Amino acid sequence: MEFKEVIGRRRTIRFFEPDKPVPREKIQVMLEAALLASCAVNAHWLKAVVVERDKLPQDKLDKLKTPVADIALDLAPVHIYFFVDLGVVNRNQGTRLRQLVDVGALPPTHGWSHRFVDEMVYPQILKPLTESPAYVAAAAADAGMAACQALLAGVDEGLGVAMNTPNPEIIQSVFEVPQDWLSLWVLLVGYPAESWEAGGQRPRPPFEEQFFEGKYGVPFKRDPAVVEQLKAAKMIQRAAVPNDPARKAEIKALAERLGLPL
Amino acid sequence: MELKPLLEYESVRNWLDGLRAHWGGDPANDDPERLPLLQAFCDFAGTDPDTVIGECVRIDKAGDRRISIKGRRKYAALIDEFQTASEESRLRKAKRGNTIRSFLIHNGILLAAGAQLAKKA
Repeated sequence: MEFKEVIGRRRTIRFFEPDKPVPREKIQVMLEAALLASCAVNAHWLKAVVVERDKLPQDKLDKLKTPVADIALDLAPVHIYFFVDLGVVNRNQGTRLRQLVDVGALPPTHGWSHRFVDEMVYPQILKPLTESPAYVAAAAADAGMAACQALLAGVDEGLGVAMNTPNPEIIQSVFEVPQDWLSLWVLLVGYPAESWEAGGQRPRPPFEEQFFEGKYGVPFKRDPAVVEQLKAAKMIQRAAVPNDPARKAEIKALAERLGLPL
Repeated sequence: MELKPLLEYESVRNWLDGLRAHWGGDPANDDPERLPLLQAFCDFAGTDPDTVIGECVRIDKAGDRRISIKGRRKYAALIDEFQTASEESRLRKAKRGNTIRSFLIHNGILLAAGAQLAKKA
């Protein structure tokens, strides 16, 4: 699938085929995509625990549920629990930055050297950052980018995907992860039981309310010609509309088949 | 406990209004089991529809309506019991439970029971 179509085709899938297994290779593809994500200071905050739902004891599965992450956890055959490893920067102490210097990714042309990393970047910037209130947000944002690559790779593999939030209070104990791993999201994976279109692309706020040019308040003008190009490339697709009879019929049929309330 | 006709309860009217707004049709009549199942659940729980919803909400100090975790947990368990008390097929049991869950959902009480067919034996 072309990259733009992958973006356009992604939906948060809420109805999975509960008993259709996901090939392990496809999960690996998703994890490989996460590993290759853009990553500040090469830290790699994102960690993941992959779980086959049916190998989770029922009591643990029930503990992971929240009222809004209940049915989804039951239906998705594979769960990828994402964590932010808050301790990684102080464990590595600049090691991974030095690797970037060695391979020419951070070259002297841009001011980089081992000495700069060892004497300035780690002790004067990164270590204090880990003690700053802003650190968690920065690390989580970075981890989120990597998780998003896994998600899009899943779509490219023909899978249904959905980010959800497991019960954060007990997740560390369920998976016995280190204390400094912060629970981020769970990426639910399976084959969609709903049509891949799932009613259409979800409502979005107007483009020019979201993006600005030069300064806040000056909208970045949306060029209709670009929009048409993106429609042709299947990145912008049919938008979901309220009270779509076809979508309602689809949900009713899924509710009947899966035993869900209406 | 003697119930009034179900349509006299505000929560029942809210339920049917919600169903009508979302799915269309005539929810009081298009599923002839809908109201009798709610009646049976109320008999089973020894309560009435408005009390069910009333116990699932609370008003916080700021005067805002909140879902009562205690109340929701109580009724989630009662609905599970009501569902399994039937000798019918798994799908029919699911319908019993899900009809009552629908009553709560359309009264603003998020209540999920998981997918009935995906549950491990």
